[in-house]
Amino acid sequence: MLFFRSEEMVNEWCEANFTPRQPLIELDQLWNLSKAWYGNRMTPEARRPGPEEMREIFAKCGLEGPFWDPLSDHFG
Amino acid sequence: MDFDTDLKMAIYGHFAESAKSPTVFEMASALSAPEKEIFEGYGRLADQRVLVLNPDGETIRMAPPFAGIPTQHRVRVGDKEYFANCAWDALGIPAALHANAEIYSRCEQSKQPLHIVLEGRPFPVPCVIHFAVPAAQWWDDIVYT
Repeated sequence: MLFFRSEEMVNEWCEANFTPRQPLIELDQLWNLSKAWYGNRMTPEARRPGPEEMREIFAKCGLEGPFWDPLSDHFG
Repeated sequence: MDFDTDLKMAIYGHFAESAKSPTVFEMASALSAPEKEIFEGYGRLADQRVLVLNPDGETIRMAPPFAGIPTQHRVRVGDKEYFANCAWDALGIPAALHANAEIYSRCEQSKQPLHIVLEGRPFPVPCVIHFAVPAAQWWDDIVYT
C-alpha cells in the first residue's frame, strides 16, 4: 500500500510498473480502516480478523466489492 | 495468559517502547525463557500471521503495524520514531498507540516528500492510497501489497 500525491501519479506509476490500476482510497478512509484494524493491537486479545470480520471492517469504511473480499477468487 | 500471548505482548511492548525490533536475547530475558522457546514461539506467531519473520527465521521483519527494518514510511510519536511497513501501517501505528503522530513518507511516483500531521485525525493533504493487491492475495506475499 503506497502513498501518491494524486490519481494522475497513481496512473503513471501503474503504467511504468506494468501494474494493474486498483481502487484508490482517501486518507480519511485509511485512518478509519487503521483504527478499526489496529485499535486494539496492543492488547492481549488482539488477533488478525477473520474473513467475516474483515468484510465488516471494510464495509464500514466504504470498501466493498471483490477487491476487498478476503475470500474472493474474482478480482475483476 | 499463555506463553504465546506473553511473547506477543512482550514483542509489541518492545516495539512501542524502543521503536526497534527485539532480539531473541531480549525476549528470552523479558520472559525468563530459553531462547529455543522464543524461536519456537516466533514460529507459531508467524503461522498465526501475527508476525512476519526475516528469511533467517529468527528475527522479526514485521509485527504489524511496526516494521522491524528501515522503510520509507517514518512515524514520529512524541520523541520516538518508528518505521511502518506500508501506507496503511503508517496510520496504523498512531491507531495502535492511540496517539497523535507525524508521518513522513513520499509519493511513490514523483518521490516528492509527503508529510501527514495526525491529531485525532489526519489533516487533509493532497494524497491518495493505492492498494496494488486484492485482499484475498495479501498473504501470498505480505511484503508486496
